[in-house]
Amino acid sequence: MTGMWWKILAGVVMAGVIVASFVTPAPQQQIGEASRIFYYHIPQAWVSVLAFTMSMVFSIRYLRSKSPIEDDRAAAAAGLGLVFCFMATVTGAIFAKETWGSYWNWDPRETTVFVLLLIYAAYLALRNAVEDEEKRAALSAVYSIFAFATVPLLIFIIPRIMPSLHPSDSIVDANFKFQMDGIVALILSGSVIMFTVLFLWMFNLSCRTRSLVRKQYEEDF
Amino acid sequence: MESSYIALIVTLVIWLGLFLYLLRLDGRIKKLEQRSR
Repeated sequence: MTGMWWKILAGVVMAGVIVASFVTPAPQQQIGEASRIFYYHIPQAWVSVLAFTMSMVFSIRYLRSKSPIEDDRAAAAAGLGLVFCFMATVTGAIFAKETWGSYWNWDPRETTVFVLLLIYAAYLALRNAVEDEEKRAALSAVYSIFAFATVPLLIFIIPRIMPSLHPSDSIVDANFKFQMDGIVALILSGSVIMFTVLFLWMFNLSCRTRSLVRKQYEEDF
Repeated sequence: MESSYIALIVTLVIWLGLFLYLLRLDGRIKKLEQRSR
């Protein structure tokens, strides 16, 4: 039962956030019901950036320590980052269909996130392509560090300097003035926190599974 | 508005499924960790 309370609490709070996101007025009245997806899309995008950052940090730590645990952590974070980035892309595409009439418009934001998905899918492909454990870990760590260098460029810089359909002033305007009403800010903050908790829980499970697999492999050979 | 309630139920069902899956997975990993000690 130890450690169980926070999981139950997370389950209940997330359910509360889900209910609140649907029963309160839509966050952007001019867009309507479709704007509710904003409560899921933004936290998923945030978690993917967090995961890619963690993958880069653990990769640096691997190169300094050569500890396979750091390599496991880097791989787990990158894999989950890819999953959350894909979910953010899907929710973004649903929003695009409702507001601009098409799921995919090759808008700068959509194009850059597609490139980012390919970059991290290639990271996982690289891991599967190298058999030697040390070589795989070292190559993946270097790749992850270079891959992360593209994250600020593809997520924050290019979509903002090019004309885009994607809303850029949902949270703060051009003068960095907070744009959201109290209830919208509260639900979005709750969603961001709960998606972060969900990610950290999944990250923990992924690292523990990798550690068990490593132990089993070492016992077998 | 009705479609919002359908979306709410679908989202809650997805969350419940994912939550229960993660709880079960957590329990299984814990068992395997205890066995491998």
